[in-house]
Amino acid sequence: MERSQKSHRSRQSGPSAKKKSDTDKKKRGLTDDKKRDPSTDKKKRDLTDDKKRNPKAFAFNSTVKAKRLQSRASEKEQRRLHIPTIDRNTGEPAPYVIVVHGPPQVGKSLLIKSLIKHYTKHNIPDVRGPITIVSGKQRRLQFVECPNDINGMIDAAKFADLALLLIDGSYGFEMETFEFLNIMQVHGFPKVMGVLTHLDKFKDVKKLKKTKQRLKHRFWTEIYDGAKLFYLSGLIHGKYVKREVHNLARFISVMKFHPLSWRTNHPYILVDRFEDVTPPDKVSTNKKCDRNVTLYGYLRGCNMKKGTKVHIAGVGDYNVAGVTGLPDPCPLPSAAKKKGLRDKEKLFYAPMSGLGDLLYDKDAVYININDHFVQFSKKDDEDDGSGARDVGADLVKSLQNTKYSVDEKLNNSFINLFSQKSGKITNGDENNSIEPMEEANTVGSDEESEDEEDVDDSDEDNNPHEKSTDSQKVKDNIQEEVEIHEGRRRRKAVFGNESELDDQEATDEDDDEEEDNDSDDDQNSSEEEEEEEEEDLEGNASKWKESLIERTISRKSINLMQLVYGKSETKPDASSHEEIDANGSDDDEFFKPKGEGNKKSSEGVEGNMVNTEDSSKFTNFANVKDWKDGETIESIRDRFVTGDWSKAARRVEGADVDGENDDDAPVFGEFEDLETGEKNEGDKTEPDSVAEERRLKKLALHDDDNNKKIKSNNNKANEVSYIDKLKEEAELQRQRNIAELEDLDEATRLEIEGHRTGTYLRLEIHNVPYEMIDHFDPCHPLLIGGIGLTEENVGYMQARFKRHRWHKKVLKTKDPIIVSIGWRRYQTLPIYAIEDINGRHRMLKYTPEHMHCLAMFWGPLAPPNTGIVAVQNLSNSQASFRITATAVVLEFNHSAKIVKKLKLVGEPCKIYKKTALIKKMFTSDLEVARFEGASIRTVSGIRGQVKKVGKIELGNKPKKMGGKVEEGIARCTFEDKILMSDIVFLRAWTQVDVPCFYNPLTTALQPRGDTWRGVRTVAELRREYNVPIPDNKDSHYKRIERPLKKFNPVVVPKSLQSSLPFRSKPKDVKTKKDGRAVVPEPHERDVHKLVQHLQLIRHNKMKQQKVKKMEKKKKYDVEKAKEEVVTKKRQREERRERFRSQDKLQKKMRRD
Amino acid sequence: MGKVSYMKLKGSQNLRQRLLLSTLASTPILIEDIRADATWPGLLPHEVSFLRLLETISDDCHVEINETGTKLKYKPGIVMGGGYLEHDCGLSRSIGYFLEPLIVLGLFGKKPLSIKLKGITNDPKDPSVDTFRSTTLPLLKRFGVPSEGLELKIESRGVAPKGGGEVTLSVPIVHNSLKAVTWTDEGMVKRIRGISFSTRVSVQFENTMIHAARGIFNRLLPDVHIFTDHKAGAQAGNSPGYGISLVAETTSGCFISVDTTNSYARGDNDDNEMDVDEKKELMPPEEVGEQIASLLLGEIEQGGVIDSSHQGLLFLLCALCPQDVSKIRVGKLVPYGIETLRNIRDFLGVKFVIKPDPTTGTVMLKCIGCGLTNLSRKLS
Repeated sequence: MERSQKSHRSRQSGPSAKKKSDTDKKKRGLTDDKKRDPSTDKKKRDLTDDKKRNPKAFAFNSTVKAKRLQSRASEKEQRRLHIPTIDRNTGEPAPYVIVVHGPPQVGKSLLIKSLIKHYTKHNIPDVRGPITIVSGKQRRLQFVECPNDINGMIDAAKFADLALLLIDGSYGFEMETFEFLNIMQVHGFPKVMGVLTHLDKFKDVKKLKKTKQRLKHRFWTEIYDGAKLFYLSGLIHGKYVKREVHNLARFISVMKFHPLSWRTNHPYILVDRFEDVTPPDKVSTNKKCDRNVTLYGYLRGCNMKKGTKVHIAGVGDYNVAGVTGLPDPCPLPSAAKKKGLRDKEKLFYAPMSGLGDLLYDKDAVYININDHFVQFSKKDDEDDGSGARDVGADLVKSLQNTKYSVDEKLNNSFINLFSQKSGKITNGDENNSIEPMEEANTVGSDEESEDEEDVDDSDEDNNPHEKSTDSQKVKDNIQEEVEIHEGRRRRKAVFGNESELDDQEATDEDDDEEEDNDSDDDQNSSEEEEEEEEEDLEGNASKWKESLIERTISRKSINLMQLVYGKSETKPDASSHEEIDANGSDDDEFFKPKGEGNKKSSEGVEGNMVNTEDSSKFTNFANVKDWKDGETIESIRDRFVTGDWSKAARRVEGADVDGENDDDAPVFGEFEDLETGEKNEGDKTEPDSVAEERRLKKLALHDDDNNKKIKSNNNKANEVSYIDKLKEEAELQRQRNIAELEDLDEATRLEIEGHRTGTYLRLEIHNVPYEMIDHFDPCHPLLIGGIGLTEENVGYMQARFKRHRWHKKVLKTKDPIIVSIGWRRYQTLPIYAIEDINGRHRMLKYTPEHMHCLAMFWGPLAPPNTGIVAVQNLSNSQASFRITATAVVLEFNHSAKIVKKLKLVGEPCKIYKKTALIKKMFTSDLEVARFEGASIRTVSGIRGQVKKVGKIELGNKPKKMGGKVEEGIARCTFEDKILMSDIVFLRAWTQVDVPCFYNPLTTALQPRGDTWRGVRTVAELRREYNVPIPDNKDSHYKRIERPLKKFNPVVVPKSLQSSLPFRSKPKDVKTKKDGRAVVPEPHERDVHKLVQHLQLIRHNKMKQQKVKKMEKKKKYDVEKAKEEVVTKKRQREERRERFRSQDKLQKKMRRD
Repeated sequence: MGKVSYMKLKGSQNLRQRLLLSTLASTPILIEDIRADATWPGLLPHEVSFLRLLETISDDCHVEINETGTKLKYKPGIVMGGGYLEHDCGLSRSIGYFLEPLIVLGLFGKKPLSIKLKGITNDPKDPSVDTFRSTTLPLLKRFGVPSEGLELKIESRGVAPKGGGEVTLSVPIVHNSLKAVTWTDEGMVKRIRGISFSTRVSVQFENTMIHAARGIFNRLLPDVHIFTDHKAGAQAGNSPGYGISLVAETTSGCFISVDTTNSYARGDNDDNEMDVDEKKELMPPEEVGEQIASLLLGEIEQGGVIDSSHQGLLFLLCALCPQDVSKIRVGKLVPYGIETLRNIRDFLGVKFVIKPDPTTGTVMLKCIGCGLTNLSRKLS
């Protein structure tokens, strides 16, 4: 490389630099096959090149520096490491939720529409509710538009896997984006990608580039350097540019999603379908009755066990009345060898949007059926089969034939169910499942037919019969919709269909599963139980024989489980919980089977264990064998190291077939036959599973080894680090979990681990306020979160709290704030505190300006380490930043210990030598007793101690005999004598109570446009009611007036004087006049007179001179002022002239 | 807000476990019909004492008992733990009764627990403190409980009827959660250890017991050591008695233990009974030794990674694990274990897959833990 003589600063950036680097590369024969961004990469490359060429220059000179660099490098490395977590998700993951967020009018729905168009080649008219699509062979996506109010944003941040932040490029960042970022940061940071829109508004290319740069850097400071910001350059035909949408889709498809700790510990569901399933007659009698709803969605987070309570964001906590796993409405393509997706597999599912043929309205569902496209999977089509078609036809026919009123039908249906069920079940599953469905059809048929007419204009043909056949051509999902044609009122048809669907899916599964499904039906559950009881009673009846045999075969493996847990599916959490205040639901009480009360106790092996002794020790002295006997000893010889090792090894493997079946289970007689019956199966399965497990372990280890090898090559670290060990353990555990769970049958598995993540669930929830239905808006996604073990309890929580730096004011203690913790949002009254050095929590009136403080508040508990966002104002009209503070839960308590300062002030009423009686400090003798031994102090700094209640003799005598004795006088001692004018005070701490108040935000129970109103702050109330701020005179700041203290002269007693040394003795010092008169001589008098005269003259002279001088000065000043005005004027003129000419000159120059 | 939903239960059985699980799952419970038909209705002294113990170690727990003691309302608080606590366990049950739930509770506390328990240390009804030291504490370590700070110190021994024993239990807290175990290899017994004690009786009793026990083991295993722990003076408590606790350790690190104690029965209720008891002779030490050795062999014969009296604890710990699969092998299920399984199902919603292994006569259990984490711990 040649260098010019002149020092030249080569370009660091821009086109010339780029050109240069390119030529350099060419020179060196490098080809950049991976086209990387040159500007970011350049420096690094240069450095490496230089290192290669001149290694000496980069060798370290200082050992200290090298050491420092090394330690820093290793520190950075350590910081990158995370404790590995066990991935407990098995099977297909649920669709990833992509939340599209941005301020209004930024192009959110358009982006979703464009993406949907890109993926599925369909135009969607409206984006309402989540839209699920299959984006690849392994991946499904669910697009959600984030609503614009802060509540919606908070909820959206909780379920988003990826957030697309849309930013209006022509305008710049808006507050919403930052608010959303902050919310996300607190609730676990999902992946974030920025998208700049409205870039076509820039005409100037340079300006566009600058803006992009600026926005990008601002975005980076908010997230991290290098965060992806996507540019959508403009619109073509009202859509984003195809190529750019394609690129965005590619970015989405390669996105990796990390587990977030809160979400991996809690199940949650983003509702994509929502139905009201309240019995119609109940609604018709009382429009405002509590409703039953069903909510559908993919289960995410972790497995959901039976009996989990859920929180519906914006509504409240509910017990789940029924959970059913449904077949996936939008399944992944089945193992295709092909590259990419075929068009048939590009499914999408969006029941809330008016997608294709379904449109959900407030009170009806409109169906468009175009036969030129069929949009659900072929597999479902096949599943549908002829049976379903018949069912559908039956259904519609029965709809037409009804003549009875709703009530009658309902009553009949129940009676029928009770009497017929047991007989009918024998006919087969098909019949069983149809039964309730037909009833459902008949129930609301009148309304249905009315509705049909309403829908006329949207449908091509009025004939309902034809229509139904049409709908059958489309899959059963749609068929479901037909049945709920009425809107959300119609529920049973959906049910029947679904249970039927389930049956079709799982006809070969054992009865247990089916029973599960049935028992999830709303009112049927209790009756079903009774039916089960019946089953048990008449188990020998011939009707039942076949199914029983089947059952025993299928259930052989869980027989011991049955013994322990009992046969019936009692749900202790749901059924035996009782609200102390609220009366339990009538239905449950009413339909309680006869034997249920004592069933639980009788179900076990030991029937009457109600009051047995509570001891873990189980020693059966009666059954002790004689171990002195040689044979008995030989029987357990192999259990000792002195015995046969190989036999023992086999015992562990479980391969020992001959087995000594001599154990006569004295407690469980049932064991024996089970075991003998089980034996063959057990022998077969056991080694298999063991082998399988070992294989998996090996696999896991192998994987890990590979990883390690790669890593060790990189890090040149040969020894297994701690983190690797943890990783290995986690992976092993994962494999073990998979292996152990795989050899269970479905029913047991469901019981053991609950519903798995990724399944499409239907949750039924009872007694939801009717407002939820009334004000339901599909544009506001509903979030259902599972509640952990302790999280439904309420208590005090302590959080590390920091006011957001963009919030303008500090926060006041006990002013209500709205917090979002876990799934919940609620309003609460926090007390701010700070921890003193000695561990005391001292109350703060206001949050510190820039520091963390503690906040203590009452509410439903959240586990430590949960993030909190606090908001004060929910309204959309607020211009400023709405996030008030962020916090993290430190611990929770059932009692709060926050104190504030208390100063008790008193004054002496009688002073002895160093003892004084203090009054006005305490109000009663009891109080004095409480403070005995407390240290006190006077203002002047004399310390003391409270001793005891002042006795009556000690100066506390009533003024007149018979007057009242003053209470609360304390005898105190001080280190010195105090004065009567001293003020004595006692510094103490007093407990501050945290108000037991929380108010859940019920934003889903009101019109979405309204702002939720909760408790107002004191300031707001004052403003509203025009109440002045209370003004305490004592609190005013006044000038302190300290009158000069006048002390009397010190009088030394005569007796003392005499003994004092001379120096200290008071002396008679005559300073001035000694009292004698001076009589001057006449000469002297004259002289004195003369002098006085002269002085007088001089004095006068001086006076006159001064006056003259002053006059002169005055004159001069006036003159000067005049002159000054003139000069100023002149100068201004001059300046003006000069500038004018300059300006002219410049303009001229510029023109040239 | 004042609404509290109580879980309704009946009967006095498993009170300890119910209270324990209720505290862990923070579910308020309401128990009715506690010995409603018995001659002495209501809660017994040791049960009340246990409730008091819960009150000492936890914060803001509410206990309401009706007048007859047949109805109990319990609203759990947060386990605070802490040091220098003291509790008098009374004389109706031994300390083992209190220790069993306490070690589990202590794990999920805010601070490490250290508590001094006074009462009867050894008792035939409950596991003795020696067994706790030898078997129960190692069992906890399997589940990832840190071993430092896990300790049971026997200050002095006391047997029924007058007690006078004193132990100090210290339990560390788990920082996040327990660790799931796969523990199916029972191994072979490689050594037998034991400890015998005697209070206010001659050392000779111990020697006789040990001799008798060894007589049985000698035909199976040479490695048998039984230590003697003769207490005298203040450390010997207030009543005479003697007992022995044996542990068999296997090659895979399982501990199988049995214990027994021989002392005069309590007869606090009636003076007449007291006299009758006084007349009754205690079982001679040779027989005690032989019996206990036979029991241990019986336990070993049954198989499983743990002896029958620890089944409940083992199940409970498995259920408290994170949401991973735990797999364990036990001998025959004992009634207490079964009751534990049921209680776990009711409170934590965890069900076990129970499969008999017919070739060995053992039972394999599998479960997915409830994912309990130590929520009361303070974030530092």
